[in-house]
Amino acid sequence: MSAGSPSPSQLAADASPPSTGPAPVLPPTPSRAGPTVAAVLLGAVVLVSVAGLDIAWGSLGEIPVRVVTYLELLFSAPNWEKLPRALFETWRSVSMAWLGAIGCVALSIPLGILAARGVGPAWLRTLLRGAFAVIRAVPEVVIALILLTVTGLTPFTGALALGIAGIGTHGKWVYETIESVQEGASEAVRASGGTTAEVARWALWPAAAPALMSFALYRFEINIRTSAVLGLIGAGGIGTMLSNYTNYREWDTVGMLLIVVVVITMLIDLVSGGIRRRIMEGARARGVDRTS
Amino acid sequence: MTVATCLPAIGGVELELGAITRNWRNGAAKLQQLAQPNLAFFPRTLTPMLETLAMAVVGAVTAAILSIPVTLWAARASNPSALGRQAVRFVVNVVRAVPDLVYATILVAMIGVGTLPGVVTLILFDIGVVVKLVSEAIDSADHPYIEAGRAAGGTQSQINRRTVLPQSWPFFANQWLYSLELNVRISAILGIVGAGGIGRLLDERRAFYTYEDVSLIILEILVVVVLIELLSQQARRRLR
Repeated sequence: MSAGSPSPSQLAADASPPSTGPAPVLPPTPSRAGPTVAAVLLGAVVLVSVAGLDIAWGSLGEIPVRVVTYLELLFSAPNWEKLPRALFETWRSVSMAWLGAIGCVALSIPLGILAARGVGPAWLRTLLRGAFAVIRAVPEVVIALILLTVTGLTPFTGALALGIAGIGTHGKWVYETIESVQEGASEAVRASGGTTAEVARWALWPAAAPALMSFALYRFEINIRTSAVLGLIGAGGIGTMLSNYTNYREWDTVGMLLIVVVVITMLIDLVSGGIRRRIMEGARARGVDRTS
Repeated sequence: MTVATCLPAIGGVELELGAITRNWRNGAAKLQQLAQPNLAFFPRTLTPMLETLAMAVVGAVTAAILSIPVTLWAARASNPSALGRQAVRFVVNVVRAVPDLVYATILVAMIGVGTLPGVVTLILFDIGVVVKLVSEAIDSADHPYIEAGRAAGGTQSQINRRTVLPQSWPFFANQWLYSLELNVRISAILGIVGAGGIGRLLDERRAFYTYEDVSLIILEILVVVVLIELLSQQARRRLR
């Protein structure tokens, strides 16, 4: 870590021997012009941004009071009557997330392997990487808005949007993982006359599979959050219910829904995180002290 | 599990592959419209785009300032009290479990339509990301300096100020830049629920079915996101 080490001027001061002859000339202080200019520019950008925001600063003072009022409305007496309905919608969101994750993973693993250096031809690599970058830049919500016109306002649209939107990031992870795999195995397969497909199956896949499976679960975790967002635009699931009850100003129900969202998300993170750790680190050896 | 998620009767997703074969023309027509961005619309997108960028910057900077004490509070090296650490981590996990647009929806209802709920959403989201990732990075790093500080009789806050913070700057700077990138992406769509920025324009144009304008906006978001990513990559390389 460079930040922890002593600065160059300190080193120079320490290294200079006790002077006997003429006083040693200190090296000139390095110019701080660059960092200073950068800091001033950054400050200017921040100030301009603050000024550019159309915020009524005068009313900022009342906001804490208002937030507290609303928090009271939300959580003082959550409306548990609608819990069964909420759990039903949550399951729909989870289904959306799961199907979206499967679709995304199923598409992006072959595409990502093709986009890795040393597998597909260069033109295909450039094309696929460009496609991943474009998909990454388009927000899921926008993809869902386009898909709406084909499949309507259904959870299926949500799952499709999640599947397509995920390819951008997931494809990138896949080719980065494949590229970080040691080259020995794929050279061996190629040397014994294997085709590209055989290299992918017998050299790259076994080495990369644990990481890819772990990424797939992580994709599911991300989708759980995004599926609630897609629900807000009407794709169904817990997000739709949340947005409806916010519009009705039924705060006690909204509070209950928020609690459900948080609890379910944290539970799924916990389980999926545990499985991921098991995939990446292997089983904990029983009866063996591994702490050392 | 996959089969279970496809059963509509228990709330699963109904796979309507038939709808795709029936309506794919709609989507194709949309894509065709989207392929012809209406460049004449460009001047009207400038102000909202700048607003989006301003929201992203203010959100990232505020979150950066707030994230320093919270992160130190959540890391083992800088906070020896297990109870306080667990409490902070639990709160941050709860904050992280709520999706960004859900915050925006509720904050818009609380504070009113405008950029303020958008900025608050970004701040909450960024703090969740930065605190989690940086505190984990601090935990997994070695801390010889901290022991030196303790041996020299420093109090915990002196140790944090003199050893933990300087050692963690690169982690922090990395995550702050990352959160700025995320902010640009998120604030582009926050407007859909009324939280200001270019998303509001996007939603309005979509409601008018002027997909040529929508496509221009998407293109602009794409360009800005890529530019910000390049900028922050440059900054990251410098920081190393």
